[in-house]
Amino acid sequence: MNDQTVELPEEISPEWVSREHSRLMEGARDVGLKLDCRRLRKLDSLSTAWLAHLQETLSRSGKKLVLVGLSPELKEDLAKVTLPEFPKEEAKPVPPLPERVGEGAFGLFVEIRDTLVLLSESLYWSTAALFKPKTLLREDAIIQMVRLGSSAMPIVLLLSTLIGFTLAIQSGIQLQKFGATVFLASGMGISMVTEIGLVMTAVILAGRSGSSITAEISTMVVQEEVGALHSMAINPIHYLVLPRFWAMSLTMPLLTLLSAASGVFAGMIVGFFFFKLSPASYLAELRGAVSLNFLGQALAKSLTFSWIIALVAINKGLNVRGGADSVGKATTSCVVTCIFSIILADAVFSFIFYY
Amino acid sequence: MDATAKLRVDHLKAGYDGKVVLEDVSLTVAAGEIRVILGASGCGKSTLLKTVIGLEKPLGGEIEMLGTKVDWSEGRPPTAQLRRMGVLFQGGALLSSLTVGENVSLPLRIHNPGLPRAVVEDLVRVKLGQVKLGHAYAKLPNELSGGMRKRAGLARAIVNDPELLFCDEPSAGLDPVTSRGLDDLLLELRESLGITMVVVTHELDSIRTLCDKITFLAKGKVVFDGKLDDAERNGPQAVKDFLARKSAPEDGKARSLAFNLEDA
Repeated sequence: MNDQTVELPEEISPEWVSREHSRLMEGARDVGLKLDCRRLRKLDSLSTAWLAHLQETLSRSGKKLVLVGLSPELKEDLAKVTLPEFPKEEAKPVPPLPERVGEGAFGLFVEIRDTLVLLSESLYWSTAALFKPKTLLREDAIIQMVRLGSSAMPIVLLLSTLIGFTLAIQSGIQLQKFGATVFLASGMGISMVTEIGLVMTAVILAGRSGSSITAEISTMVVQEEVGALHSMAINPIHYLVLPRFWAMSLTMPLLTLLSAASGVFAGMIVGFFFFKLSPASYLAELRGAVSLNFLGQALAKSLTFSWIIALVAINKGLNVRGGADSVGKATTSCVVTCIFSIILADAVFSFIFYY
Repeated sequence: MDATAKLRVDHLKAGYDGKVVLEDVSLTVAAGEIRVILGASGCGKSTLLKTVIGLEKPLGGEIEMLGTKVDWSEGRPPTAQLRRMGVLFQGGALLSSLTVGENVSLPLRIHNPGLPRAVVEDLVRVKLGQVKLGHAYAKLPNELSGGMRKRAGLARAIVNDPELLFCDEPSAGLDPVTSRGLDDLLLELRESLGITMVVVTHELDSIRTLCDKITFLAKGKVVFDGKLDDAERNGPQAVKDFLARKSAPEDGKARSLAFNLEDA
């Protein structure tokens, strides 16, 4: 069979290669390829690499690439072209499923262990700081309280109020059918204090403050700032972890109470305007329904959620390896892990308080 | 063995993430000496530095710093030992949320919480003056040039009057004038404070300015340990080539392509 002959243009441009390459290879697969280079004026990096690729591919399938009419200068240029030979990288075998499951489970175990170690160290150093108050970095803790807690207040209040409105309207309509709108206050009180206010606040702080902690600490790791702390004999637990641990522990229960109060207040407004429920009867019903026991449960849960957010976020940040992409991955992973852990812990608390 | 040695590394094996980078590395740095660790990129210089300053746990061998063996039984080297050394990181590693003054005062404030603020401030100003950065006290790290960040990092590294100073690529990424200025500053500090220094670099000009002795690493092993003159005269060929700025042979081979050429 005869080779197919193709005339090359004066210059082999990226557009020309993109347009013609597949068609040429298709035709050359069976009969080889003859390139008429009489018009060709220049061989740049792309055209040289393209010719080398054609030569290699065709010779592997036993076909020939012939260059016709190449000028003496271009022949000289082409003679200088060499192709580096890289050792073949062996493809990593994919481990079997049980091994991958085992690795995943071990990774999870290590992460939980590290977080618990961080918790124990935080509690230890917090207790130690009570006896040596000068060692507590008060200013740093206050800065973190403002950054992680106080500045989240507007969004927590806004979202809790909106949820309160929605919840009150939906439940009020159902209660109205039975003439029991007076129970709107107890329903709103119990649900906002023990569940919705808590979980709402925790999820907002996981997304807002948790991600901020992870991003900040992981960037510090990547920029060797944490290494610098180690080299100055400064314990990162003391300098990085404690201020954030204290800030989250103190601000989150307060934010939770504010969130619950704003939801309950939204319920009162809905009760007054939609269901003719006077604020006095709403508040009286609320006082009877929401006992101190419920408030205690809410505070215990919110304290636990604050620890989950702070410690998961710090742990994710401290364990970052690599560059900027690792910071992004760690931040995403922090938010997902925090929200999952909060929901799981909430379920566990429900069992504990129920029994 | 040299009883006055400030740093002794003995048959060190080091690496991370399950990968061994350094094997059987030994070196001794005498008091007042400036030792330059050098070698091509990827030879293990940074791993050696990270292991010696306690950021990576050694996989084997021993490190003796300032006359005491480094003990890893608590998961990190002892605080007392770390406080007697200083480290200048490649990019300065200043905490970006703190001003230069706060960065330099950080080790003092953390380790001596009872120290009056005014005393700390004065000391920090003295240290910033030593690195010729007195005007940058209230600036944030992102307001400084690369060279200024390194000098601020140096001020922080010497704030506790360390006996041993480690510098990771002090002149990397700097223009020749700034780089020379930083090298001169290190020499001045050695003269005035008597600090023993271990400098990791592959900048040949810095090596010639600074070193008393060199330790040359290649593929995770020490291939030369001694004076620069000796290395240039009697060292292994790889060391001579490196110091003469000759490029090392590339890995792998290259082959010519035999095109079929026909005249028209």
